[in-house]
Amino acid sequence: MLFKEWLKDEKKKILFDGGMGSEIIKRGIKPGKLPDLLNIEEPQVIRSIHQAYYEAGSDMVQTNTFGSSYLNLKNHKLEERLVEINQKALEIINKICPKNHLIVGDIGPSGVFKPPVGKATTDMWQSSFKKQVEVLNSGVHLWHIETVSDIEEMRAAIRAIKEVSSKPIISSMTYKKTKRGFFTIMGDSLEKCVEIQINEGADVIGSNCTLGSNEMVDLMKEFNNVTDRPISIKPNAGKPRLEESKTVYDQSVQEFAQDIVKIINLGAKIVGGCCGTTPQTIQEIKKEMNL
Amino acid sequence: MSNEKLNAEISEAIVNLDKEKALELANRAITDGLNLLDVVEHGLGAGIRRVGDLWDEGEIFLPELMLGGNIMQAAMELLLPHLKEHSETFNRGTIVIATIEGDIHSIGKTIVGTMLSANGYDVHDLGADVPAEKIVNEAIKVHANIIGVSALLTTTMTGQKKVVEILKERNLRSQFKVILGGAPVSRKWVEECGADGYADSAVDAVKLVKEL
Repeated sequence: MLFKEWLKDEKKKILFDGGMGSEIIKRGIKPGKLPDLLNIEEPQVIRSIHQAYYEAGSDMVQTNTFGSSYLNLKNHKLEERLVEINQKALEIINKICPKNHLIVGDIGPSGVFKPPVGKATTDMWQSSFKKQVEVLNSGVHLWHIETVSDIEEMRAAIRAIKEVSSKPIISSMTYKKTKRGFFTIMGDSLEKCVEIQINEGADVIGSNCTLGSNEMVDLMKEFNNVTDRPISIKPNAGKPRLEESKTVYDQSVQEFAQDIVKIINLGAKIVGGCCGTTPQTIQEIKKEMNL
Repeated sequence: MSNEKLNAEISEAIVNLDKEKALELANRAITDGLNLLDVVEHGLGAGIRRVGDLWDEGEIFLPELMLGGNIMQAAMELLLPHLKEHSETFNRGTIVIATIEGDIHSIGKTIVGTMLSANGYDVHDLGADVPAEKIVNEAIKVHANIIGVSALLTTTMTGQKKVVEILKERNLRSQFKVILGGAPVSRKWVEECGADGYADSAVDAVKLVKEL
């Protein structure tokens, strides 16, 4: 299997994709609904975004299914369309994935928290993720569980995948930087999260979202102190602001790509971008990496 | 027990997330006939402000913050019936708070809501993904003084502006203060929207609301 070969090949650095939301808006879609619904309503938009990432140099691109777990769809009163939304996502990306490139099944957070913040339980999470995984498993090469801020929820997601699928898993948490180091907002330390992710059998440990590229450089150093597993890093493109109703990022793609090179030099195996990053970002990373 | 001593102890109980102790002290304040407004402000209030600071500093996390807010509210529920006998004007104000339509990021908004109710405001949390019209209608219905609109995405922030525009269209702008929240919100954006303020953290949000 190609992904496992890439993991074994020490020289290979895997280029992932970038953000989805800003690309959707660039193509004239008004914000206000779950982007995953566009798999059904505007499949050509999602297809063109996937294509732009593959063309920019992404080795692998993820399905437009970040919000399509059962619980998150339920938050949007769309749970009855779970199979349809996830199936459409596969159809869209299947048609355009080039040879020797991969399709990654994207699993985002459930949107529901455990007490005292919310009412979620481990069983609720696991069965919610399992419903999504059962649909996606037929068409993806590997998994990316991302933007999760509760290690218990991550554990439930990994277990849900393992119930159904034997494909590799990238397990990516989102951290906040504090004076005492990197923690999830639920208060789990980086060290604790990594340990649990390894014990649950994640093939790649990662982080995405919340942090910008310069903070991710620091996080990568911390990863090196706690594990020698392959690492995946997808930072945000700095902090966005709105100027005359247009989104502006103060950080240039060049600065972002230079930070990514630092992250690679520190040992990251997989790199890409999260919120605010675009195919142009991926192109720039490729250029900086001299790939 | 003196007001001062009880304030210090109940504040510490909140910071330590010791619900039993906090409620016991609240009952004690009632039976000892202490100045309950003072207990709310300098006991419970001081405690929850410290909890908020610890959250901002990254010393505690979301579960502790929510728990602190819950304990504060439980203590307030004990004190409130007794407070009303002494002061009809204890309620500091009514606030309608929501994350705008298209945006499901509700954590920040929920934290701000919890902190505001912990500080004595009557908070109506409408949840996430709420249309601007609905926010305005609810604010009218509950006679709110302040409307708080949260947006984490630059793509949904335009909804914050829409709230102000609807108020202007209906000639209601002067009846409400509108405050904005969310990571990408800036002073410039507040000016562009014609809103009344914004805050970077839940602690600042409480300060802002008090100023307004």
